[in-house]
Amino acid sequence: MRNAYVDQFPAEAKVIKAAFWSSFLALAIGGSLGLLQALHRTDVLRIMEAPDYYTVLTAHGVLLAITFTIFFLVGIFTWGVTTSLDRGLVDLRFTWGWYAMMVVGTVLVGVSILGGVVDAIPMNADVLFTFYAPLQPHPAFYVGLVLFVVGTWLAGADWFRTWLAWRSDNPDERIPLPTFMALTTTLFWYLCTLGVALSILLLLLPWSLGIVDSVNPLLTRTLFWYFGHAVVYFWLMPAYMLWYVMLPKLSGGKLFSDPLARVVFVLFLLLSTPTGIHHQYLDPGIAEGYKFIAMTNTMFLLLPSLLTAFTVVASMEHGARQRGGTGYLGWLKALPWRDPVFTGMALAGLMFAAAGFSGMINAGMNINYLVHNTWWIVGHFHLTVGTAVALTFMAAAYWFIPQVTGKELWNRSLGLVQVLVWFVGMTFMSNAMHRSGLFGVPRRTAEPQYENFAFEPAAGSMGEINAQVALGATLLTVSLALFLLNMVMTSLGGSSDEIPDNTYAETLSGPEDAPVVLDNLKLWTAIATVLVIFAYTLPLASIIDAGGLFGPGIDGFQLAIEAGPAFVLESVREVIA
Amino acid sequence: MASATETGETDQVREIGHEEYDPVGTAILITIYFLILVLLWVFMYFVEFLGNGPTVVGAVLTVVGLA
Amino acid sequence: MNIHTYEKAWLVAAMVLIVGFMATITYGAVGPGIAMIDDDGGTIDPAEINDHERFGEPGVEHVGDDEYEVAVVAQAWSYTPEQIEVPADSEVTFYVTSRDVTHSFSVVGTNVNTMVIPGQISEMTVRFDEPGEYGILCNEYCGEYHHTMEGKLNVVPEDEFDLTELSVDAPSEVEAGNETTITANVSNGMQEDLETTVALEIGDQGSERDVTVPGDGSEEVEFTVDSAELGEGDHDWTVTVDDYEETGTLTVVNATDGGDGSAASGGDGDA
Ligand code: HEM
Ligand SMILES: [Cu+2]
Ligand SMILES: [Cu+2]
Repeated sequence: MRNAYVDQFPAEAKVIKAAFWSSFLALAIGGSLGLLQALHRTDVLRIMEAPDYYTVLTAHGVLLAITFTIFFLVGIFTWGVTTSLDRGLVDLRFTWGWYAMMVVGTVLVGVSILGGVVDAIPMNADVLFTFYAPLQPHPAFYVGLVLFVVGTWLAGADWFRTWLAWRSDNPDERIPLPTFMALTTTLFWYLCTLGVALSILLLLLPWSLGIVDSVNPLLTRTLFWYFGHAVVYFWLMPAYMLWYVMLPKLSGGKLFSDPLARVVFVLFLLLSTPTGIHHQYLDPGIAEGYKFIAMTNTMFLLLPSLLTAFTVVASMEHGARQRGGTGYLGWLKALPWRDPVFTGMALAGLMFAAAGFSGMINAGMNINYLVHNTWWIVGHFHLTVGTAVALTFMAAAYWFIPQVTGKELWNRSLGLVQVLVWFVGMTFMSNAMHRSGLFGVPRRTAEPQYENFAFEPAAGSMGEINAQVALGATLLTVSLALFLLNMVMTSLGGSSDEIPDNTYAETLSGPEDAPVVLDNLKLWTAIATVLVIFAYTLPLASIIDAGGLFGPGIDGFQLAIEAGPAFVLESVREVIA
Repeated sequence: MASATETGETDQVREIGHEEYDPVGTAILITIYFLILVLLWVFMYFVEFLGNGPTVVGAVLTVVGLA
Repeated sequence: MNIHTYEKAWLVAAMVLIVGFMATITYGAVGPGIAMIDDDGGTIDPAEINDHERFGEPGVEHVGDDEYEVAVVAQAWSYTPEQIEVPADSEVTFYVTSRDVTHSFSVVGTNVNTMVIPGQISEMTVRFDEPGEYGILCNEYCGEYHHTMEGKLNVVPEDEFDLTELSVDAPSEVEAGNETTITANVSNGMQEDLETTVALEIGDQGSERDVTVPGDGSEEVEFTVDSAELGEGDHDWTVTVDDYEETGTLTVVNATDGGDGSAASGGDGDA
């Protein structure tokens, strides 16, 4: 008897499937735009006008960093909660409600961005995914973002009420690990999105509607990063969950330590948010002391990731040894390298180890002068969200899509090729990006070819760097196409009886070894809130004190939609004269 | 049901329990990673960063200069 | 909670790593004295930049010994001034603000790099020991032509650097037989006095005058020109001070030709 997820929870499987496909669609569009960007910047192929580059980049950032990741996340967490609690969601209408809300939000944001290149849409949102005021998008962009975020809040509420329902039936049991992970993640998501939601609803939206006529750019920026760092952990947590609860099983072993997994997620709940100022190391208007506090928190946030590295690798080693692997490192050969799900996740983890290094550099307060806003940063996060997360998700899809559809994966070997090509492509692209950042090549720049100076690499040349980026981007796009092909063909296939059971990894050291206090979500939320108050009260107070809640009469800028560039330059010059 | 292993799917040849398992390989790998991190950090900070030309210095120096 | 010995060891190693990182950063702050951009620069209303004491006239200012201040205004999509020149072996404090959206001010190939946020003033002090030429770029997206936003920073050898400005006031016409004056105004932006020579060449005549321009002041030098010695016709003139030069033409007209005789400026401008 087949016992896949779709057999256990047919109704939930439909929601998860919808969420996954929303996610894949975003990945398909966003990834293709990535290729366009890479080729344009490196001057290999320029099929758009330079100004359109920024519309494309806005779409790439929003679709991949927000839409792709979070739709996948809600799918995975819904799977994790229902599977580990062994019960369905409380009310499917509510579930479809938040899913629909996220879709509507995405469409609003997407259309307003599209307005930047389609004249028929009288909107514009060329503000990149960070939407720093006083760059001003169409209000629909803000409204869409808020709807999307509120949708995720409701999703979180859905997991919580399902857990509470389970709790009343199982008052004495430990929270199953996947549910524990989903809930702690949801808690810090609530904590961090509060900042950006307030920023949009109270400051930015009224300003874009003309209700108030000014913003304080440093304030809205600080509120963005209050959310903006935690969001990177939000993307990452479902990948971590998969590494903890899937990888050990795929390797043929058990999770090395359930208690440590809980400790790790508690640390993320505590430290994800009071770190955002590390994105503002080079901002004026924030005292050095606050930056140092943010760095301290950030550095300690390395701890859960370093612990994860150990626990996950030890779990894989356990599997390899159970599969007959021997020797100090010889066991590596016994891992199931032919399985695209395993190999994809393992390679994603390997890249995350490399990303860990560049992340440590980014965390180091004063060394930020070297790398801030250079292509180094872009290289870094294509390893984190662009691979650790994205490749884990793609690999996971090879397991999950059969689970939620009951259809067998169309082509496993192609899946293996796909994850390998992504790995190779990203090695080229990210490495070249990192290197170029060190000699000052800026990020977010359509044509980084300047008139009065040239970049001077210590080793290699700009041409060679550009070639690597273009090659890497091409490989990535090929890989992406293979992934989508496999997904589509799988969906077109018929139902199969060969789907493995819906299970996740057992543990070597189980929850019974974990102190009960770890499951005290109220306690951890309270401490997390206190840490946030410590880290943010004074900086925010001094920013508001110096620049006012609404700033000194700062208008919105949409540089320049209707007017040609010459016009704008002229008007700026007039102001100067 | 939730966490039954799929022994059928994996090619397990032996069962290793909690007490008898020492992740030696993991310890080796993680030690290598540790060394790489330390070396790269030192290189990045002292060569790439401090060697990268003029740097923003404290106002403390300015005050001393003015005095 | 039983944690495997290896993992305990790793926990310790990880803490060592974290503490080591923070120790390195702290060393950078107290050893080489690296300071972060902070709130020392204060705030500013972007609408008032033109009237601001510092940003009203952006540029390089000498504040004493080897210390300089540079005020820069960033706007879409350029810096004012576009070219910055400072001497080597100096300590330069940059003050940067934005007229419109968020920009950056990043000196390529150095660790001089700051965000420029409207409403805020980024203040940073940098020592330049060696001469060199650097590009400046904006690395924060600031609108459609963000990628064209660039500037130049030239650190010149100390002995080639000054903050001298020369402007000349001269008539374009003079009636034959009359005398006229060409006035050179030499201003000195350095705090120390400037001892130099102002030279005028006109036609085949020349004269020189030694002047001492006080620190942070200016001096006028008048050259009397006798049209009789020049004779009728166009006469090119050149005023030079150190490396600065102003040129123009003086026309000596016959009184009966009835040129309008006005003293329209023949050469006027900053070096
Ligand atoms: C086909 C694969 C991909 C390619 C070729 C690609 C290429 C690029 C390039 C060239 C940039 C730099 C733009 C610039 O700095 O001027 C960029 C930015 C970015 N990419 Fe990707 N990328 C890919 C996949 C991804 C994935 C999977 C994610 C996340 C899940 C991602 C997230 C981002 C983000 C957040 C930015 C920054 C946007 C901004 O600066 O506003 N990319 N990408
Ligand atoms: Cu961050
Ligand atoms: Cu810019």
